[in-house]
Amino acid sequence: MKKELEHSFVQQLEKNQNIVHKICRLYTHDKESHNDLFQEITIQLWRAYPKFRGDSKFSTWMYRVALNTAITLYRKSERRIQTQDYENISFKIQVEEYDDTTDQQLELMYAALKELNDIDKALVFLYLEDKSYKEISQTLGISEINARVKMNRAKEKLRRILNP
Amino acid sequence: MDILETLKKQWQTREVELPKLSYSDIYQMLLKKSSSIVKWVLLISIAELLFWISLIFLTPDSGKQLMADMGIGKIVNYSNYIHFAVVGVFIYLFYKNYKNIRVTDSTKTLMKNILKTRKTVRYFVYYNISMFILSSILVDAYFYSKSEKLYEVMNFASKGIPQEGFATYFIIIQILVGIIVAGMLILFYWLIYGLLLKRLKKNYKELEKIDL
Repeated sequence: MKKELEHSFVQQLEKNQNIVHKICRLYTHDKESHNDLFQEITIQLWRAYPKFRGDSKFSTWMYRVALNTAITLYRKSERRIQTQDYENISFKIQVEEYDDTTDQQLELMYAALKELNDIDKALVFLYLEDKSYKEISQTLGISEINARVKMNRAKEKLRRILNP
Repeated sequence: MDILETLKKQWQTREVELPKLSYSDIYQMLLKKSSSIVKWVLLISIAELLFWISLIFLTPDSGKQLMADMGIGKIVNYSNYIHFAVVGVFIYLFYKNYKNIRVTDSTKTLMKNILKTRKTVRYFVYYNISMFILSSILVDAYFYSKSEKLYEVMNFASKGIPQEGFATYFIIIQILVGIIVAGMLILFYWLIYGLLLKRLKKNYKELEKIDL
């Protein structure tokens, strides 16, 4: 029974791992911390999994647990100070053709996103993932109206960082 | 087009460059242990509960004998029973709050529950420190008023300690020890929880501000 549960969990996480990687990339600064956070999120997801009823999509349920781990439960490692920032190393788009200007813009956007505080980061991340305001407000535990207001401010903050 | 809208579109298409973990990589992770804040809060809280509880049992017999000889043995026993009951209530509350911590709750609720669990233990520590201070003051005041009897019971004469000025020295030493213990406890809490929960508290305040 446990084996079956493990199997279905690992399979679903393998399929949806990009969500977790994206969160790790936003909340950590180097590969080692990225892996640490991924590991912690996996453990938290696995612990909560027996109570996952399947009345929501696995990915929807994952957003909440993964973000909660990144914002609340994860203890940031001090090691990141000594290691190299990986943003500059690994961000190469692997599509055959791409617009270089957009690519540069995106690099700038990623850098700007990292300057936001943990909560604003979560808000903008969920917006980028095309989540509704209802879902965003339920995930973070704030009212829908205030989620909208806050999101507009976070967007403004981003624009200011990009165009000082 | 708005730069954020551009990013949003690009965001969806950039998934190809993310790391890819295999089935067995993920499976291996299930076997590892968590190092989350909740785990640390739990471990430190249990250590604190055990520390203060062990103090009750670790009181040396000579101390108990001294209380009995000074004529307050019964009062000390009764207050210990009350103390046990209060400790029991704190343990129950701590357990209840800890059980309420669920990673599937909303971020705000999760943070609130962690801070609540932490608060229970903090109140437990406050309770112990205030009881420690209060009982020290009461016992010291009582001993001071009965310093002659204390001098006799402690058999200080045979140790060559003069009776003159003895009570004053006794009180000064008691106060100094109290201040040192309190200072060490404050430093301990500042180090452990200040550093451990700093980020969580900051984020919780951010979330609270949104709904103000």
